[in-house]
Amino acid sequence: MSDELILFHNVSKFYGDVLGVNKVDLRIPSGITSLVGPNGSGKTTLMNLMSGLVHPGSGSITVRGISPFAPEKLMRILGYATQYDAAPRGVTGFGFVVAGLLLYGYRQAEAERRAALAIETVSLTHAAQRKIAAYSKGMRQRIRLAQAIAHEPAVLVLDEPLNGLDPLVRAETIALFRNYAAQGRHVILSSHVLQEVDVFSDQVILIANGMIVAEGEIRNVRDEIHEHPSQFLLHCQHPARVASMLFDQADVTEVKIDPGGRGVLVMTRQREAFAAAVQRIALNGEEIDGVMPMDENVDALYEYLIGGGK
Amino acid sequence: MNQIWIIAKLELRRAFFSKRALWVYLLALFPAVIFVGHGISVKMQRDEFAGKPTVSAALLDRMAVGTADADVLAAAGKPLQDRSWDQRGRNIKRRTLMYFDGSRRVWFEFENGALRNTRRRELSSIDEDRKVYAGMFQYFYLRLAVFFGSLGIFINLFRGEMIDKSLHFWFLSPVRREVLLLGKYCAGLIASAVIFGGGAVLSFGALLAYQTSADLQAYWQADALYHGTWYVISAMLGCVGYGSVFLAAGLLLRNPIIPALVMLLWESINGFLPELLQKLSVLHYLQSICPVPPPMDPNVPPLLRLVLAPTEPTSAGVAILGVLGLTALVLYVASRAVRRLEINYGTE
Repeated sequence: MSDELILFHNVSKFYGDVLGVNKVDLRIPSGITSLVGPNGSGKTTLMNLMSGLVHPGSGSITVRGISPFAPEKLMRILGYATQYDAAPRGVTGFGFVVAGLLLYGYRQAEAERRAALAIETVSLTHAAQRKIAAYSKGMRQRIRLAQAIAHEPAVLVLDEPLNGLDPLVRAETIALFRNYAAQGRHVILSSHVLQEVDVFSDQVILIANGMIVAEGEIRNVRDEIHEHPSQFLLHCQHPARVASMLFDQADVTEVKIDPGGRGVLVMTRQREAFAAAVQRIALNGEEIDGVMPMDENVDALYEYLIGGGK
Repeated sequence: MNQIWIIAKLELRRAFFSKRALWVYLLALFPAVIFVGHGISVKMQRDEFAGKPTVSAALLDRMAVGTADADVLAAAGKPLQDRSWDQRGRNIKRRTLMYFDGSRRVWFEFENGALRNTRRRELSSIDEDRKVYAGMFQYFYLRLAVFFGSLGIFINLFRGEMIDKSLHFWFLSPVRREVLLLGKYCAGLIASAVIFGGGAVLSFGALLAYQTSADLQAYWQADALYHGTWYVISAMLGCVGYGSVFLAAGLLLRNPIIPALVMLLWESINGFLPELLQKLSVLHYLQSICPVPPPMDPNVPPLLRLVLAPTEPTSAGVAILGVLGLTALVLYVASRAVRRLEINYGTE
């Protein structure tokens, strides 16, 4: 089983006196996992730890059963598109990907075939023969992604992979992630674009100040935050009447008319009791068009758990 | 082995053609430029003296101290140069007459009309040139050019990539760190050996190029090939030894100036060290296999003489094994360091 997981056991990492991550325990299954946290929270440190670019001060890590201290084994199943912008001097995009593949032991012809395919996947064929130094930020992002996927790894680690991508390429890239995850592979990524992560992630790991604040499916994480009320939008024809009915419910902590005129915004601590109340109101003849959770996105979780800013 | 070669191939272009390598080429080519310049100068002098009248060497050598200038002029005829001047204050009339015997220039120096000193100088002397070359090779080429050239090439293999923030490219490949180290070392070694071995060949070639055919033939039949080969081997072995040291320094230390100065100091004081510690010097072994002992000017200050004087040489076989053994030891230490090395560009 551990051969299909990425495991962190009590991992701590300090850079001198500066905390990287502290006592991290994680079990990351396959699928798309997003690391979310503010700058300096430890997202990149986690990725660098699992790829062996930095070593834990204490604790242990295995990636599908392989230690990051064995790059000759780990890098055969792992591809990492780092945030580091630099590539070896004077190299073209195509040469960059081919060079990486040669180190995997592919023969020149096979390396070139795979490199061309990976570059085509990230829609960069037109610029493949140009030097990376002349690439835009988005193109550099894509060539790093091409290099990371060229050997078709089982674990794809991506640091801020959507930064600098135009909408079309962004959509294609997300489709690529989904395709990878659907094949039972790991896709681990970090992003500041929280709404995007929310849309395509299977699970989320929230991190702040080097500590894991929450992990799991977005809905499950949200459910664990008992102390914070859930927010719903009730689409209805007569918001004022529905609001007055909801005021009588003990589990409802706040009711207000949606400024956008869509219905009533409700804050409640007990989802089940609230659902029963909505049902009663509907049975009393009030027309309820729908109930929509308003805070099951990463932004909301993020605010609740970390306490504000991105 | 295959991975080592692939890494070396990928690194070679950078080692040979990076802008940082420019001054390495200048260091390597400097002696060749000097000897080419000297050769041109000698050739011009030969052309200049080719049509000049000569006086027999036997006649010129007979002139004893105290001979009158008029007698010299009577015996040897009109000189090629005749310069006179008065040394005021001491009331001395000085005169210098220069003659040419076909291969040497001879200067007779007179005081108040009597011969006081005779100076002789060959237009070119292969023996003298070989000594000059030996001095240049040991005092400049090995101690400075190969030393600093290796510093420039090898320290950049890891430290340079850390500064460029591109080292992660290698660390994210399926290669053992030790293999990566060896691959990069091989790339640096090939580049530095070609550059400095080539520099030694060019400068030795320049030394031979302007010799007279008789001198050249005699030297070629005697020691030329032997000397040239050992000069090239010692330059390349310098790259082997210094390269390993600076590769390790690039892994262990952030500032290359510190290891360079420490190493330079260590190599300089090698002559003062106990015999056992002398064995931990690359220069000690390199000097041992240099084929011609370097000249030492008697006017060199005693302290500098101690620094420049070669240590007691070891045999060529022991010297080669010594450099290789020292290199293996340093590379082992470096392999331990590279396993612990982390990508932490923020602190660079």
